[in-house]
Amino acid sequence: MTSVRPKLKPETPKAITAWETATGRSVWMTQVGTWSDDVRKAAAFTGEIAEARLAEAFKQEGQVTDPYFMEVTETGGITGRETIRETIRATGPTVAYGASA
Amino acid sequence: MYRYDEFDARLVKDRVDQFRGQVNRRLSGELLEDEFKPLRLQNGVYLQLHAYMLRVAIPYGQLNGAKLRGLAEVARDYDRGYGHFTTRQNIQYNWVALKDIPDVLEKLAGVELHAIQTSGNCIRNVTSDHFAGAAFDELMDPRPWCEIIRQWSTFHPEFAFLPRKFKIAVTAAEHDRAAIAVHDIGLRILKRGDVVGFEVHVGGGQGRTPHLAALVKDFVPEAELLDYLEAIMRVYNRYGRRDNKYKARIKILVNELGTEEFTAQVDAEYAAQKGHEKIDLPQAEIDRINAYFAPPAFDADTGSETFEAAKAADPAFAEWAEVNLHKHKQAGHASVTVSLKPIGGAAGDATDAQMLVVADLAERYGYDDIRVSHAQNLVLPHVPVKHLYAIWQALDAAGIATANESLITDLIVCPGLDYCNLANARSIPVGQALQKVFADPKYQREIGRLHINISGCINACGHHHVGHIGILGVDRKGEEFYQISLGGRADEKAAIGDIAGPALKGEDVPQAVKRIVDTYMALRTSPDELFIDTLARTGAEPFKEAVYATA
Repeated sequence: MTSVRPKLKPETPKAITAWETATGRSVWMTQVGTWSDDVRKAAAFTGEIAEARLAEAFKQEGQVTDPYFMEVTETGGITGRETIRETIRATGPTVAYGASA
Repeated sequence: MYRYDEFDARLVKDRVDQFRGQVNRRLSGELLEDEFKPLRLQNGVYLQLHAYMLRVAIPYGQLNGAKLRGLAEVARDYDRGYGHFTTRQNIQYNWVALKDIPDVLEKLAGVELHAIQTSGNCIRNVTSDHFAGAAFDELMDPRPWCEIIRQWSTFHPEFAFLPRKFKIAVTAAEHDRAAIAVHDIGLRILKRGDVVGFEVHVGGGQGRTPHLAALVKDFVPEAELLDYLEAIMRVYNRYGRRDNKYKARIKILVNELGTEEFTAQVDAEYAAQKGHEKIDLPQAEIDRINAYFAPPAFDADTGSETFEAAKAADPAFAEWAEVNLHKHKQAGHASVTVSLKPIGGAAGDATDAQMLVVADLAERYGYDDIRVSHAQNLVLPHVPVKHLYAIWQALDAAGIATANESLITDLIVCPGLDYCNLANARSIPVGQALQKVFADPKYQREIGRLHINISGCINACGHHHVGHIGILGVDRKGEEFYQISLGGRADEKAAIGDIAGPALKGEDVPQAVKRIVDTYMALRTSPDELFIDTLARTGAEPFKEAVYATA
C-alpha cells in the first residue's frame, strides 16, 4: 500500500503488521500468531519462519488487510528506515487533534 | 442551492445499498482487499496510515446548516470528534471504521451528501470560488455551471475509467480564487455581448510534474460547453498515458503534444461529434439550474452604524473585521472567512462542536449558506454587517475567529505523515512551528498577504508549488527534510515556485522562513508592496541567500 517498503534481508528481525479490516486499526502479529493493537506485543521473526507467518497473515484477509514486514530489533522494537512512519502507525499522530488540539 | 430531485436521491441511495453489500462481503472475507480496493475507492474510502479515511464530496464547497450539521454528527458519532476540510473543498474523516461507513453514507444521503467520485480515475468534485454568488468582482455566479458539470460528469459511463484522476475548476471573477491554472480543466466565465461563454484552460496540475494550464479556447458559448468538455475528455481518454501512472495526467499529454496540436485534436473531435451525439442543453435547463442559485432576499437594512459602533468599542473585533471580511456585491453585507487556522492547530480541522456553531450562525444570520474554501477555511458568504459582531463573538468563543485570512499563518497544509500513507514527512508540526514564529497579529498584518503552502510529499496536496513560499517534505534515508520554493501563486497570475536550494531539516524551517520574511520587509518599497511583488521585482536571489544564511 505504501510506496516505500524496503526489502529486508532474511536474517533481519521483522514484525508482521497489518490493518484490522473492520476498523482500520494498526495491528501486529504476536508470538502465538494472534493479532494485537499493542505494538509492544509484536513478535520478531526471521528467515523462513517470518515468510511462513506472513503467508498465514495473507490467509486471514477477512480479519486483516495488506500485511507486510516491518523492521524491528530482536526484541520487537521499531527500527530502521521506516521508524518515523511505523512509530506514527503504532502510536498515532504526533500532533494533538479534535477537541484536545 | 441545488436540491436533489427524485433521480438524484435514488441514485445516491442505491449506491449506499450497493456499497453496504460490498463492505459486508469484505468483512466476511468473501472479497479480498485487491478486489475490494477499487470498490472502496469509488466510494471515497482510503486506507491510511493507521485507519480508514472517508472523503465526502462537497460540490464546489457548497453547504448549508443541515449539511454541515450532518457532517458534524458524523464526526461526533463515527469519528473522533473532528473532520478535515481539504484543498478540494471536501471533508475527510480520519478514523472512521469500515464497518460503520455504510451507515455514515446513509446518514449523509439524508442531507444530500455522498462520497461518489471522490477517488479513482474519474472526474472529481468540481471546485469553484468560495465567494461565488457574493463577490463584488464576479461577472456572474459560477455555481450553476459547476452544478451542470457535476450532473454531466456524475456516473458518466465513458469517463469512469480515465487514464488518471481529473479535476475541473470554474471561476467567474476577475481575481481567480479557484486556482484554475492548476487544474486539468480550468474554466473562466466570460461574456461576449449577451452570450455567456467560457475561456478553456487545459493541462494544469501540481504533483511531481507541475504545469500551468494552457489556453486551449478563448470562448466556448455556454450551450456548447458540455460538448466541448466531452471532446477534451475523449482526446484524453484515448491518448492519455495509461502505461505510466506518473505520466497519465492530461497535463503530460498537453505538454507532449503541444498546445496547438492538442487543441487541433480537440477541435477535430468536437467537429466529428455527430448530431445525435451532441448534448442537448436547452436554455430552459440552464435556467432551471440557475433558479436554484437565485440570490437570497437580502436584508434591506444595511445596519452599518451598528457595525461601526461595535468596531469602535471592541478592538479585537475591529482587527478581525479588517482581515476576515470580503467585499460583498450587496450593500450592507460582507462575506466572512471562518478561520480554521488557529495558531498551533492543524490547518482545515474543525471539531463537531465548531461545525455546529457555524451551522447555527449560517441559519440564524447568513441566509443558510456556508462554503468550504480551497484554502481550508469555512466561509459565510452572505452576512448583513449588523450581525457581524454577534457572529464574531460566537466564533471567538468556539476558537474559530483567528484574524488571519490570507496572512502568513493562514497556511494550506496537507495531513502529511501524521495521517497519510503516501507522505514522506510530516506537514502539520512544521506548520504549527511556523505559525508560532508569526503568531503576533500585528506582525502578521504588517507583513500583509503571504501564502505559505506545505505538502508532505511530491503529490502536492498542500499545493506547495503555488505557495508564495512553498514547503515540500522529502525523505532522506528515513529522516524528514523540507525543500523550500519561492514565487508560486495560484491566482490569475499563476506561477510554479522555484526551488530555493538544498532541503533543510524540519527544525531549521521556521527560522529560514523568518529570514525570507525579514528580507522582504527590508526590500519592499512600501507596506503596500506584497511579498510576491517584491520577489517579482528583485528576483529570488536575495531570498535564496536568506534561506541559507546562518546567524
